[in-house]
Amino acid sequence: MKIICVVKFVPDVDNFTYDHEKHIIIRENSRMMVNPDDACAIGFALKMKQRSPDTSIEVVTMAPESVLPLVEDILRVGVDTATIISDRLYAGSDTYATSRVLSRYLSGATYDTILTGSHAIDGDTSHVPSQIACLLDLNHMSYISRIDESSFSSSLARFEVESEQAVSSYEIQMPAILGLTRASGYRLPYVRYKNLNMDVSDRVTVIHNDVLCFDESEVGLTGSRTKVVGTHVKTYKNRSHHVVTTDQEGIDTVYRFLKDKQFI
Amino acid sequence: MDSKVVLEQLKGMLTVDQINTDQDDLYDAAADRYKKYAKARKVLNVPSPIAIVYPKDTQEVSMLLSYCNEHGINVIPRGGKTATEGGLENWKELTIVIDALHLDSICKIDTYNSQATVQAGVPLQVLEDELRKVGYTTGHSPQSKPVAKYGGLVATRSIGQFSTLYGGIEDMVVGLECVFPDGQISRIKNVSRRAGGPDIRHIAIGNEGALCYITEVTVKIFRYFPENNKFLGYLVKDVETGIKVLREVIVNGFRPSVARTYSPEDAAQHFYHFYENSCVLLFMAEGPKGIVSATVNAIEEAVETYKDGIIKQVDSQLIEDWFNHLNWSQQDIDDEMLGMIDNDSHAGYTTEISADWETIPKIYDAVMERVRNEFERAEDLTMLGGHSSHSYLNGTNMYFVYNYKILCEPEDELIIYHHPIQRIIVEETLKAGGSMCHHHGIGKYRSEWTREEHGSAYYMLEKLKQAFDPNGIMNYGTIFPQEEGMKYIQ
Repeated sequence: MKIICVVKFVPDVDNFTYDHEKHIIIRENSRMMVNPDDACAIGFALKMKQRSPDTSIEVVTMAPESVLPLVEDILRVGVDTATIISDRLYAGSDTYATSRVLSRYLSGATYDTILTGSHAIDGDTSHVPSQIACLLDLNHMSYISRIDESSFSSSLARFEVESEQAVSSYEIQMPAILGLTRASGYRLPYVRYKNLNMDVSDRVTVIHNDVLCFDESEVGLTGSRTKVVGTHVKTYKNRSHHVVTTDQEGIDTVYRFLKDKQFI
Repeated sequence: MDSKVVLEQLKGMLTVDQINTDQDDLYDAAADRYKKYAKARKVLNVPSPIAIVYPKDTQEVSMLLSYCNEHGINVIPRGGKTATEGGLENWKELTIVIDALHLDSICKIDTYNSQATVQAGVPLQVLEDELRKVGYTTGHSPQSKPVAKYGGLVATRSIGQFSTLYGGIEDMVVGLECVFPDGQISRIKNVSRRAGGPDIRHIAIGNEGALCYITEVTVKIFRYFPENNKFLGYLVKDVETGIKVLREVIVNGFRPSVARTYSPEDAAQHFYHFYENSCVLLFMAEGPKGIVSATVNAIEEAVETYKDGIIKQVDSQLIEDWFNHLNWSQQDIDDEMLGMIDNDSHAGYTTEISADWETIPKIYDAVMERVRNEFERAEDLTMLGGHSSHSYLNGTNMYFVYNYKILCEPEDELIIYHHPIQRIIVEETLKAGGSMCHHHGIGKYRSEWTREEHGSAYYMLEKLKQAFDPNGIMNYGTIFPQEEGMKYIQ
């Protein structure tokens, strides 16, 4: 079975820079991480590989080449191959342009299923998986909180989707795009100490626009139909600082505070 | 020898309830708090012992050690299980843990002669509580006080928070009884002082279960004057100023029971409500009124001497409140274990070293510099600091404390985070002529530097091992470096 995991690298929420003039996230200087939902997709794929060692996993991402060390770490935990789609022309692409780039690559790839996340913590539009599914004419489902591992195959997947109202069970014909959420609990393992310096360079492919052949007008800022009208910088208020002691008065103060804030 | 045969033969020596082969208990006995995170996550990489046994008296300890010595079975002596340096970790397939559970009698409290005799399994807190009833104290108060037991305290050269006044455990032990691998029971008598050759108490004190099993100790006890306690606290500009004030007080001949200087990072953990991003210097004076009064005066004079480095004095009540919540209970330890199961975090690690007054600030600065610049995961550090908490006429200790985001598998946490930091601390300390182990013992994970720690005197240490434990059955890998154990270290 061949699984492709489409993943996004996102800025660490503690440390990212936003270009307020161009309205784009500056990714080059940020500490990046695999988007948490996407990490669950890889985690699930690795679990399947553990069950069926002949399973092959490819990670595909559209990102600056600076993510290479992070991609290499994904290979060091058991993913077979990785493809980084990267070109200066693609910088600033909106979700639609991104979906077109990814779809063009995927249309030439072989796979039994495509796994990805549902939400990205830096954008949260959830457009890309749906748009790829549309462009590739594949079935698609997001917000998957559990996949039945025993019935997961190249022809069929059974899974649960969790919403505020209910947990629904689905069965889908493969190939399909399945979007997991963090609620699934599938975990991307850390690289083991003994593998930290493992050479995986021969398993990474970097693809530029000379392969995908987009016109400049189709991708990047110019090819993006989404226009950001404006942004605002979040302001932070100075919080008051109140020290209490471990006596009845202190306990009452903390209790009232938690109650006011509706934690209790 | 086959473990099943050993278990059968143990049944011939002990009653069934003295032999514990419960798998969970054996897993727990495979490692101590050094590998707390891996242990909580059930990924320990060391073998479990085959049994935990609970002798009821010294004769049974002697019988067990003779048996193990004859059959080459590794023995780990165990008390309150508060070891932090791998001293209770098991590196051998065929190991039994000899637990002091039933050696739990307070043999004698002798207030007239200011000494008390207890068996190895008596918790420090139990003796302290008994002494308080008669107006006395042990004077010993490590953070593990509610849990630690006397056998372990003596075997690891424990020290307490009031050491500047009362000393470390080695200053308190008057005499003791211990058992060697060949079954020999030795009693060192309780006298006020003697010049009868080398002080053989120190063969047992600090042996970490690598030479003998301590079964009974007699310690000094002290009159207790809690009503006279005085607390003083200051914010100071830097660690060096704080250490200079500590030195001034000590070299002038005064002995506050608590005398500490915290770096701002460490202070943030304990004194977040008043430390104002500064170092914290604090004292506690105790004893008879006149001594307390003189000690407080001496502290104030020392602070005046270094007033350029003093930011301000803080409310004494803040120091007293901190003091009243110092110790770790079994509940705290259990809570940390539970927390590590659910979260990728723990309460951090420490490495405690000592050196003379002049050298300590240099080691501190060198360590900070190297960790921040050389440690590959420095960006994951959530805390790096230290405090001086035990002072002597010629120097003090430095208790490096650090914590980090654990961004690795539990099996690799120590080797990726703690070991590299500890290595820097040990290297800088030994380079500067200090000691790499102020009060936690060497355990197993600093044994790679035991030779360097002792230099040419390692000869003496090695001879002790050869003489008392020629078959190497006592706590394999502890204190004495073992090539085979390096797979667990590196």
